[in-house]
Amino acid sequence: MTTRLYISNDTSARAARADRLAEAWEGDARVELVRTSSRGAFFLEPLVEREGPEGRLAWPLARREDLTRILAGEGGVAIGKIPFLAQQHRITFADFGQAAPLSLADFRAHGGWSGLHRALSLDPQEIIDELNISRLRGRGGAAFPVWRKWQVAKDQPSGVKYVVANADEGDAGTYCDRMIMEGEPFRLIEGMLICGRAIGADLGYVYCRHEYPTAFHTIREAVALAQAAGMLDQDGRHFQLDIVQGAGSYVCGEETALLESLEGRRGEVRAKPPYPAIAGLNCRPTIVSNVLTFATVPSILAKGGEWYAAHGTETSRGTVVLQLGGRVKQPGLVEIPFGATLEEVLHRFGGGMAPGARFKAIQVGGPLGSLFSESHLGIRLCYEAFADAGAILGHGGIVVYDEETDMVELARHYMAFVADESCGKCTPCRIGSVRGREILERIQTGQGRAGDLVLLRDLGETMKATSLCALGGRAPYPVLTAIEQFPNEFRKK
Amino acid sequence: MRQAKLNLVPHRWRTSPPNILQSLLAVQAHLGYVPTDVAPEMARALQVTEADVAGVLSFYPDLHLRQAGRHRVRVCVGESCVANHGSRVLTALAEELRIGLGATTPDKRFTLERVYCVGNCAVSPTVVIDDQVHGRVTPSDIPTLLSPYK
Repeated sequence: MTTRLYISNDTSARAARADRLAEAWEGDARVELVRTSSRGAFFLEPLVEREGPEGRLAWPLARREDLTRILAGEGGVAIGKIPFLAQQHRITFADFGQAAPLSLADFRAHGGWSGLHRALSLDPQEIIDELNISRLRGRGGAAFPVWRKWQVAKDQPSGVKYVVANADEGDAGTYCDRMIMEGEPFRLIEGMLICGRAIGADLGYVYCRHEYPTAFHTIREAVALAQAAGMLDQDGRHFQLDIVQGAGSYVCGEETALLESLEGRRGEVRAKPPYPAIAGLNCRPTIVSNVLTFATVPSILAKGGEWYAAHGTETSRGTVVLQLGGRVKQPGLVEIPFGATLEEVLHRFGGGMAPGARFKAIQVGGPLGSLFSESHLGIRLCYEAFADAGAILGHGGIVVYDEETDMVELARHYMAFVADESCGKCTPCRIGSVRGREILERIQTGQGRAGDLVLLRDLGETMKATSLCALGGRAPYPVLTAIEQFPNEFRKK
Repeated sequence: MRQAKLNLVPHRWRTSPPNILQSLLAVQAHLGYVPTDVAPEMARALQVTEADVAGVLSFYPDLHLRQAGRHRVRVCVGESCVANHGSRVLTALAEELRIGLGATTPDKRFTLERVYCVGNCAVSPTVVIDDQVHGRVTPSDIPTLLSPYK
């Protein structure tokens, strides 16, 4: 008798050596291996699962020699009893860790395509109305109401229109888009098909970053499989979906730079307006949305906008997908309704600090996000509270720093990053980031001058007010919040 | 030889206007880098200016102008890896390979680079060798990590 064992094939599971288990057990006649998406509880990887009497049983941090125990059913934990997973409220990531990513049968068995089927029973305006009721906002960082963008694109005269998935997940500390493309690529395709129907577009692109080769190959294969199964032909219309790779530029995650890059040019930001929904790719109406946003749409269509809007807070409806990283004990993906405090997330899900580490600061929202010290952990994770604090939720990345972190070096790291990645189109970002880096380098080497911190603040305010896009406009936030919350480290140098 | 390089660009990118980035990526996919003499040839073939091609070539960090070693070793410098003291891994790698960032070992075995986040933040610090992602890397792992790559 063979026992079916499930091991994740996600990049981070493999980086945690899941492949070694798979290679070691592959030829074993007692074992049938299924490579799945990941549950996102990466601190437990490599995680091996098998069916139990009441759902899956799991063996966290499994080693090769554990096979006998696993086959005998000894020592497994019920998946539902792992607090990190049990305390989440998953919608988009509900089925992660269970199915083979490229199995259309598995996808359908877990309710795949049901959002698309509902959308096919609605006319385009009704689809947009459903999104309006759901109050879904873009999950890439800008948090713009999704329905409004779709409405603008739909209202443009018919003709060539595009649906573009922004898979340039460049914010360090984020990985949910990668997990979707590697783990449930058909869900992204489903969301894009629904968007195409709503706005009247027959052409789509996924712009995938170069740093995600596995995601790129998986989504490309998924498109081929979906096409062969006829899923790209709906209602007599064919939706052509192409996957295109970027080339390592962070600013190409900004929607207009992405469009420039998709057209094959330098990824320089365009001045807005016109917005892409009116004149985007090849000057045609284009919806550019983040992968997570498209992947959220199918559940909303399948279960209704009201159901989705019943989760979360007043202006932040639904769930927030957080990605914990840095010096936290339990790094991984957390999907919960908006509204929990940063402190709750850090303790309930993060499990506190990594062994031996002491908390110093936490950054939310990627390299352009603000830093929070211990006294600010009461902030609620929702758009309104972050806007009030002058911070951003961004794409949901949360990185925890320990007390060994040198805040001056960290601030320099942020500015140097922006100086490297600035597209060069606008002066405040191109010059400001270089000057900012120079001042911080001066402070770092003990050559700081009186007034340098005031100068940095002035420079920061200028960049915030006058940059063309969020790269320059947000770049000062991590630096200024570091100075604000750890002033002594900057002064004593 | 030059013509052969341009034959590597698939027809789908030779549109009007052409897709310069994807054309360069297609050349790189075959050769591992973009030789400098490709720019003028490509400009002529795609009917764009040489500056257009050179502009794209210099904009993107992942378009390489030089041939790398047999294996590309990239150390992640994204925030989660920074928080987990990935800089110690970078220092250890530079010491082990006896080269600095951007350099190639004299035997052409390894090129040492940095990468800004590969989405492996939950099992950081991260080192990527070719396309293989390694997580939870400590400085003492380095010799074992490098040994399979000849």
